[in-house]
Parts: sequence; C-alpha cells; structure tokens
Amino acid sequence: MTTAASASAVSPSTSVRVPVWAWALLAFAVFALYFVSQENGALLSAPAAQMLHELTHDARHALGVPCH
Amino acid sequence: MGLSFGSVLRRGVLAGVSAGLTAAVVIWLVVEPVIRRALAIEDLRSMHGGQSAPAGLPAHGGDEPLVSRAAQVVGGAVTAVLVGVAVGIIFAVVFARMRERLPGRGDFGRSMVLATIGFGAVSLLPALKIPSNPPAVGDPETVGQRTMLYALVLLLGVAIALLVPVLDQRLAARGTVPSTRWAVDVVATVVLVVLVLALVPGSPDAVPADVPAALIWDFRLASLAQLATMWLTLGLVFGLLLERVAAPKRALEPVAA
Repeated sequence: MTTAASASAVSPSTSVRVPVWAWALLAFAVFALYFVSQENGALLSAPAAQMLHELTHDARHALGVPCH
Repeated sequence: MGLSFGSVLRRGVLAGVSAGLTAAVVIWLVVEPVIRRALAIEDLRSMHGGQSAPAGLPAHGGDEPLVSRAAQVVGGAVTAVLVGVAVGIIFAVVFARMRERLPGRGDFGRSMVLATIGFGAVSLLPALKIPSNPPAVGDPETVGQRTMLYALVLLLGVAIALLVPVLDQRLAARGTVPSTRWAVDVVATVVLVVLVLALVPGSPDAVPADVPAALIWDFRLASLAQLATMWLTLGLVFGLLLERVAAPKRALEPVAA
C-alpha cells in the first residue's frame, strides 16, 4: 500500500517488524478473551461451561459483557 | 535502531499483568460491594419464590451454589488478570504494527494514545450502548441478542478507530494543514459514534422494579472505573517500559522482563 510505504519512509526507525506468528498469537488472545468473557456452552459441555461461567461471573459483570 | 517484536511483546505481557492486577483490585474494592447489594436482591427473590433464577444457572440465588461466593470473588480476580494479559498481548501486536503511525511524543505518548483509543473503541462505546448490569438485572432470554448487539458495537468501535486514521492520511496526502485535519478527524469521530449510538438498537431488557436505580448507576460507574483502570495501567506501564528500552540505547542491555 502506498500509504504504509510513505509512512515508513518518513520515519523508518520507529517501525517494528511484526512476524507472522504474532497474528496467530493475537488470534489466540482474542479467543482467550472470548473464552473467559462469553463462553457459555458453545464449545464446552454444559456443566463445564456452567462452572466457567460461575468462576468468571464477577469479572464478566465488571467487564460489562452481557451476562444472563 | 530497530526495536524487536519480542521486546515489545514481553513488555505487553508485563503491562497486561499489571493492568489485570490493578483491575482486580478495583473489582475487589469497588465492584464487589455493588455485586453484594445486587445478590441480596436475588436472595430476597428466591426467598419469596417470586422471580425464578435464570434457567440453567442455578447458582444465582439457588440453594446449592455450584461455586461459593468466595470462589467467585477469587475467580473474578483471576479472570481479570487473564483478561489483562490477553489485552496486553493484543495491545503489543497492534502497537508494533502501528508504531510509526501512532501520534504522540515518544513511545510513552504513543502507548497512551493507543490505550485511549482502545478504551474508547472496545470498552466505552459498547458500555454506552449496552451498559453493564449487576446480577439480578439481565434477562436470560435476551442474553444472545444482547451479546450480538454488544459485539456489533465493539466491532463498529474498532472500525471507527481504523477508519478515522485512513481519513486523516487521505487528507494529509492532499496537503491539508494539521489543524484542519485534527478538526475533521474529531468531527468525523463524533459523527460516526453518534450514528452508532443512534442506529444500533439498545438492550431489550427492562430493569426489574425491585432493583433500585442507584444500584444500577453505582454498578455502571464501578464497571467503567474498572475498565478505565485496566486501560490506563496498560498504557502507562507499557509506555514506561518501552521508553526505558529506547532511551539508554546500548548503554544498558534491555533487562529481560
């Protein structure tokens, strides 16, 4: 992209090389966020999801994610 | 003078742990007392046999809780730290990718700018449209719908955060002066945020009559305080840690975090 190229041309010293695995790590972190904040049985068995829900309950409320 | 991604990521994780821990302290000191007030209302309901506990979640006001209150409080704190680490990792990747384009003086300034954008886009905007609620409020029947709306607003917040800088770059390419660009950026952000708030439907739930308005207000403030604390700590710690690598270049080898 021309915009990215021109931006890095202006200040090449500030750019950081982001390896490909970093995006996999980002996807994993997003998944982890989903897991602790939203998982209610879509991936886990019902008792496991219920256990997870109860353990993360207070933080889910505090984080403001919709909860029961 | 290249900054390696590994050193950015390590600092992101460390900042994330700090953010999660401070958020856990805010939950414990500010959010938990409000949750206790809400749980008292749930207990009162189950005593009178009025409103039944949400289907499939017997621990709310049930006789035989799956997890004790003490475990829920500890679990909540652990969850806050896990969330902090995950957000810290995402923050580090986005920061590394966007570093040369983030405004702000030095890495500290850039870190604070990114943390502010993050708070606004994925915490404040969804909270304004689908505000947080204490226990005893949510209707289990509508949780799916509320979750979709919440995720939609969050994604629209991210879209705005990506769109406005693109607009800014377009204006810069056309030679628009910085003051005009700033004004256009601010107006564009406000217009887009207002459009999201006006067009996306709100929560379908009505707050039950036995839940005082003051309790809802206290809870929403406490929830926002926790989220703001998390982002503020993340931005501060990440910025300070990164500033320390950049400043004494080679005089001191970066201390392994």
